[in-house]
Amino acid sequence: MATESIPTVYTPQFPSWRHRLARLTPWLGVVPFFLFALAFLLGPASYLLVGSLRDLQGNFTLDNYRNLNQPLVKGAYILSIQISAITALGGGLFGFLLAYAVTIGGLPRFVRSGLLTFSGVASNFAGVPLAFAFIATLGRIGLLTTWLKLIGLDIYDRGFTLYSFAGLSLTYMYFQFPLMVLIITPALEGLKREWREAAENLGASSWQYWWYVALPVLLPSILGTMILLFANAFGAHATAFALTGGTYNLVTILIGAQMRGDVLRDPGLGYALAMGMVLIMTVSITGYTLLQRRAERWLKR
Amino acid sequence: MPFLEIEHLHKQFGTLNAVADFNLQMHKGEFVSLLGSSGCGKTTALRMIAGFEAPTGGIIRLNGRDVSRVPANRRHIGMVFQSYALFPNMNVADNIGFGLKIKGQPAAAIQAKVHELLALIQLPDKGRSYPYQLSGGQQQRVALARALAIEPQVLLLDEPLSALDAKTRVELRQEIRDIQKKLNMTTIYVTHDQEEAMSLSDRVVVMNKGVIEQIGTPFAIYNYPKTAFTASFVGQLNVLPVTVTDGAAGECRFYDQPLKLKEAFAAANQSTATIALRPEELRLGQQDGHNHLTGIVENNTFLGAIIRLRLRVEQTTLLADLFNERQMVIPRDGETITINFPPHACWILDNQLN
Repeated sequence: MATESIPTVYTPQFPSWRHRLARLTPWLGVVPFFLFALAFLLGPASYLLVGSLRDLQGNFTLDNYRNLNQPLVKGAYILSIQISAITALGGGLFGFLLAYAVTIGGLPRFVRSGLLTFSGVASNFAGVPLAFAFIATLGRIGLLTTWLKLIGLDIYDRGFTLYSFAGLSLTYMYFQFPLMVLIITPALEGLKREWREAAENLGASSWQYWWYVALPVLLPSILGTMILLFANAFGAHATAFALTGGTYNLVTILIGAQMRGDVLRDPGLGYALAMGMVLIMTVSITGYTLLQRRAERWLKR
Repeated sequence: MPFLEIEHLHKQFGTLNAVADFNLQMHKGEFVSLLGSSGCGKTTALRMIAGFEAPTGGIIRLNGRDVSRVPANRRHIGMVFQSYALFPNMNVADNIGFGLKIKGQPAAAIQAKVHELLALIQLPDKGRSYPYQLSGGQQQRVALARALAIEPQVLLLDEPLSALDAKTRVELRQEIRDIQKKLNMTTIYVTHDQEEAMSLSDRVVVMNKGVIEQIGTPFAIYNYPKTAFTASFVGQLNVLPVTVTDGAAGECRFYDQPLKLKEAFAAANQSTATIALRPEELRLGQQDGHNHLTGIVENNTFLGAIIRLRLRVEQTTLLADLFNERQMVIPRDGETITINFPPHACWILDNQLN
């Protein structure tokens, strides 16, 4: 009677190099991303780093970083941080209230869809077109300015100008609050109805529910998104340049001036300024990622 | 006087009657289950008792006081949710102590109560853990402790075991019952699982399409169902269409096979009726004084303690649950066999199934 032998040793069905290749196949999909990041993120960042450590003759120097201590540069950083912080807070608060109204506030479904569609478009509407849209609306002879003047309210006579800190902040808000709406809406929708009911059931008022449960749960998302808004405004260049014609001393505008070199040409300083921005952006994005991770941990369970 | 009285409770969503004429009286310390399939109105009824839904009509009286319009946060009713609903930003101890903190209790009293409840739910070392670090069963224990911490007048449980695996479900349901008895807590438990309802409750409320079909002890619900729905929903049931031959003598005919019921019934001769018969009442072979049916075995399923036969009798399929015995000869598929059952095992169903 024939008997079958039971194999005791596992034999791979194909050579190990093919096995390894098969395991690498899924990585092929992300190769374009890595190439893109290498070409347009790591490459330029390395170029900036190297450039910031060279003088005009190409010799190694730390002077570019020492020059960051100039009043003009410090002022640019302070102004950029101020406008970024104000528009992040303002846009964040306004965006949060809008998102609350269309999610928990119980407005009709079509309002939510409309707001999210608008936010998707507006959050990407920046740069020269946005600046001209605001000039056409709120400029000295803008449509809204003229209408307001017709009803007896001359906003420019009352001290407002679009080409000021307030005007620039208002313009930035146009792309800031929609970004907040887009990011915070899913977080608000992640608040479970049962949490509110459980809190009520245990005797809590609506205020106590928000103070002890909803806000702490949402806080990482809110703070994380505000950090993202901060970074978003901090890196904006074209809107401010088109609106103020380069006269406003923001870091991005100052970098442009150093690189173009009309009067201030100093590419080394420009690179050092840009490295400062990279540092602030890195800190911001890291903060955002950490907070978002914490928020997701709570909202997923 | 009943501790919880619900009179003519009614809830309408648009044109849908979610709950209609719901009446229930409960004594202090009683455990009652609302049993029914999805959409039968059991959760809506529970949510009205909790104060999360405003009744369209009716009265909820708790310890003699009408609470129908009292906000949920002033009813002093504890609730355990199917999805646990633990606050994710708080650890276990803070979750349990939340209700006491809201009440303004001193920190030392809260801490003592939390320790006591952690011991009660057998998680004494988990006070500092966060909900996401616990298993489903542990989270539900914490949710139970949180609801009990405020010493509610009534405890409501909304399908609390549905999200858990079978083994944890059985363990936890016994724990819930033990804790409820220990604290003498008046409890309403919503479930679609009849085994859960039967094993836990003092009384079961069977619901269908927003109305109560029957209220009774698990024994009465199972053995003396008052409506066709209760009979078919609770446990397995064989339904036999019969022709009445002598109602006064309790005699009828299932196709050509004569049957006798223990009790007489009011039906004209030659009229049709439906009789019900539990599968576990059937036995193999002949027995004096019993009814007999002959049919063909379609298949048998071995379930351990029970062997379930599917038997074709004329155009009707019957289930027969036979107790397993080691020396038993299990009928083969296709074999013609005779089964018997006593006259008292079957009863006439009302007209709903006819």
